[in-house]
Amino acid sequence: MLTTRPFTYAAPTTIADAVALIDTGGPGTKFLAGGTTLYDLMKLGVETPAAVVDLGRIPELAIVDTTGDQLVIGAGARMCDVAEDPVLLHDYPALAESLSLAASQQLRTMATVGGNLLQRTRCAYFRAGAPFACNKRDPGSGCAAREGIDRVHAVLGVSDSCIATYAGDWAVALLAFDALVDVVGPGGERTLPVADLHREPGDTPQIEHTLAPNELIVRIRVPPTDTGRASTYLKIRDRESYAFALASAAVGLAVDGDVVRNARIALGGVATRPWRARAAEESLIDAPVTADTARRAGRIAFADARPGRHNGYKIELGARTVANALLIAAQRSVR
Amino acid sequence: MSQPLARVDAFDKVMGAVQFGADRVPPGLAHGALAVATIGRGRVVRIDTSAAEAVPGVRLVLTPRDGGELASAGFVMAGGHGFQSLQPLTDDHVAYRGQPIALVVADTPHAAAEAAALVQAEYEAEPLSVDLDADGVEVLDQAAVIPAGFFPDVDVGDADAAFARSPVRVDSVFDCPPQHACPMELMAAVAEWNGDTLTVHEATQNANAVRFGLATQLGIDVERVRVLSPYAGGGFGNRNSLQAHTCLAAVAARRLGRPVKLVVPRSQMFHDASFRPASRHRVRLGATVDGRLQAAIHEVDQQTSRHDLFPANYVEMTSRLYGIPNFRGHQRLVRTDVQTPGYMRAPHEHPAAFAFECAIDELAYATGRDPVDLRLANDTGTDPVSGRPFSSRHLAACLRRGAERFGWANRTLEPGSMRLADGTLVGWGVAAGAYPGSAVPTVARLRADDDGTVSVQVGGHEMGQGIRTAIVETVVRDLGVAADSVRVDVGDTAAVPQHLTAGSWGTASALPAVHDALQELRRSLDLPPTGAVDLRAALAAIGRADIEVQAETRAPGQPPEAIDRLRRGAMAIAGPEFPTFTAFSFVAHFVEVRVEPTIHRIHVSRVVSVVDCGRVASPVTAASQVGGGVIWGIGACLREGSEVDPRYGGFLNADLAEYLIPVNADVPRIEVDFVDEPDPHLNALGVKGLGEVAMVGVAPAIANAVFHATGQRQRRLPIRLENVL
Repeated sequence: MLTTRPFTYAAPTTIADAVALIDTGGPGTKFLAGGTTLYDLMKLGVETPAAVVDLGRIPELAIVDTTGDQLVIGAGARMCDVAEDPVLLHDYPALAESLSLAASQQLRTMATVGGNLLQRTRCAYFRAGAPFACNKRDPGSGCAAREGIDRVHAVLGVSDSCIATYAGDWAVALLAFDALVDVVGPGGERTLPVADLHREPGDTPQIEHTLAPNELIVRIRVPPTDTGRASTYLKIRDRESYAFALASAAVGLAVDGDVVRNARIALGGVATRPWRARAAEESLIDAPVTADTARRAGRIAFADARPGRHNGYKIELGARTVANALLIAAQRSVR
Repeated sequence: MSQPLARVDAFDKVMGAVQFGADRVPPGLAHGALAVATIGRGRVVRIDTSAAEAVPGVRLVLTPRDGGELASAGFVMAGGHGFQSLQPLTDDHVAYRGQPIALVVADTPHAAAEAAALVQAEYEAEPLSVDLDADGVEVLDQAAVIPAGFFPDVDVGDADAAFARSPVRVDSVFDCPPQHACPMELMAAVAEWNGDTLTVHEATQNANAVRFGLATQLGIDVERVRVLSPYAGGGFGNRNSLQAHTCLAAVAARRLGRPVKLVVPRSQMFHDASFRPASRHRVRLGATVDGRLQAAIHEVDQQTSRHDLFPANYVEMTSRLYGIPNFRGHQRLVRTDVQTPGYMRAPHEHPAAFAFECAIDELAYATGRDPVDLRLANDTGTDPVSGRPFSSRHLAACLRRGAERFGWANRTLEPGSMRLADGTLVGWGVAAGAYPGSAVPTVARLRADDDGTVSVQVGGHEMGQGIRTAIVETVVRDLGVAADSVRVDVGDTAAVPQHLTAGSWGTASALPAVHDALQELRRSLDLPPTGAVDLRAALAAIGRADIEVQAETRAPGQPPEAIDRLRRGAMAIAGPEFPTFTAFSFVAHFVEVRVEPTIHRIHVSRVVSVVDCGRVASPVTAASQVGGGVIWGIGACLREGSEVDPRYGGFLNADLAEYLIPVNADVPRIEVDFVDEPDPHLNALGVKGLGEVAMVGVAPAIANAVFHATGQRQRRLPIRLENVL
């Protein structure tokens, strides 16, 4: 149903004011960044905030500094701008590609790199509202997807409560590089790894991340890594552009001579959260990247996969995606 | 005529100056929004509108309790005017998920949408069946349930015996999913009453149906209804009859004494308008060892609704595609719990060609013959069903010219035998297509003024296909006047009757009427039948400031009563069988696909399409239509499928993010060419239909290319990654 219920709106100009507004606003108050997810879900009636706090007028949130040892990317920076950052393009192609392959240019022009981390799932049963049971939208109501059309749903990190795929790309690439997020709440600032930001659904799929309701992501930091340059984000989808991943892989390699010294593999489109494939990474250490080792790493990445009714192909597709991404990254290591 | 005319309305469209239906904002406008059923079948037992009525700005909530005010407009394929016979809000019956159960009208669109979401309904649910294989569907022999003569089975020779005798046989089953047309412009109506006269602004392909249907539904004189549809943001069959929202807007406007606009959002459009139904095809081909077709049996099961019989018409085309002496075509309808499906661009011809032309490719491989040679060897100049000649048929020229342009001679026959250095598999596929040539009676009125302006009012609708441009081009070619002195008025029931524009007969019907009116104009001005005209001088010579003429045209063999039917709001379609000939347009598509080595993503990398549509009326818009048709074919083959969850009914992927139409990145280089030979029989201008034949055969050409690349036959659409992995 297309609906926009009345809500109050505030547009603070400092981070402190934004956090204070959300803290005093109480439940039902939401941060608004680019609006590409929140407004969409408000029109669908899935999100019904009583108040929104617009972060778009806080200059500090949009600061990007990629000149130092670590990348510092303000949460309010636009996806389209960060995607074209020369340092990312040259030294972290997986990060740049994960942004430029996401959504459409129009959406990337609106959406922020902070908001994108918490992009919500595209599960049709979640989005469509009644009559579909959805534990994420309506806790305890059930999961219509498990016995339904689950072709695009997750095979990793699934639970009996929820099999909805984490839809984003950027967080997957950040996860591969051990990125950190700095968050501010009423009690001050704290830092957590992107790896600790998202939750598997378990019995509480409605809780998708580990932030408190009154905490705000202010920046993303990517620590120095030897796997940035020989990296890629390979996204496989149903059409050539403007679609969510059926399977994706963010891969970074440090190759010494012929053998891998460091490998990073993170998966998108196949899991309920951005998914790090550490066992697959380890399988490559001290080995050369060949079609065989790449394929083996891909298989290992999906060793724990749990297919549903129509998404079993994602195990083979995902393994091949990892393998291809490894071969692309290995080629970049010799340039 | 040197330069082909650019699209005459392009500038206004780019500047946003063109008024589509929902662009109209009369003073005092109120806005409607629909609440829809969340069960797949059953009954509304209670409906609570109190929360909706409490939303500030809400003026009216209509529910089935108000049903007495509305009647069904009847199903368009059974003598009525509606896309289905079921008119929501007339009773408590729920036939499908997404069926409207209430209309809310408010001062703003937001208040209306907000209130519609607050309408609470309790239901009594019944078991439902939404796909061809579901328990509880009802399977009907079409020939037994639809009056004789309409959409008949085809029975030529003795196909079963000839098939049994044939030394080479193909027997395959093909599945096509439901698909939605997704025109860019949402369904919308603006209804305004002036006393007891109703004016409706709405994008439609059939202003007559909207007008006459509304008169029926509202119980008023048809003279009191005017419908204006100067532009539609895409039609594709989606808008070819009266939709259910229009009379709801009209009733609300009458109740409130205010104009009412009702825009149907995208998710509801998947349920409140027709769609291409699911179909399953079993195709059996029998041939000699050198590939001469002896027999074909094409059997189809097609989805329809519980409440209407949407006719299947697949075998009309496949029985004419080649000179097959023994042909049996049999069609069954499968009643399911959906809104009534309907016509969507190349409605039956696209699925039929997918099945039949893939089977032809299988036959080519079974006989070891080149797929182009095999098709040429089975060409015919005679309609094998009627025994009459085709009005014109240049399929062989399409195949030969396409093969030449594509470089077909360099193809190697063996699947998987063409690949790039990186291991990418290359596949080349071909398929033919045909689409019936039809025409409808048309009235054209022409006015010339002494300021040099020529005004044309004609039956027809502009849905982006370029009918205005073709009309302007016709006038310019005939009179030698400047294009910007020609005014075109289409889609207005107050001007001339507006027959349904569909079935690729729009241009082929409107242009002959314009042509005849031009001849009438010349006679009235004492001018020779051809040659450039100085209108001012001609008008001065007879001492007049302006002159108006009218022409009425009918399809070949149509009786004068066809014009009466048109004026009464009835349909009057002639073709493809005419008294002395059978008319079809033809096409050949050549497709290259590239299949990635490990992940096997299919990329369509090149298309060559050659069309026989008679004389090309407007080269610019014709090439655009063919390009668009090819893109539709790519979508229909590799992307689009409306997903049905059998537990819930309705369609699940009901938005443009999840219903996958092609995006620009999916579109390869498309080379378009035309035989451009005038058809000598169908009409004076020699034009045949184009809009739909452009799409027919694209899907099988792609599927055949995928086979050539991979060695895998794909018999189910859409072909997606998991099918080729």
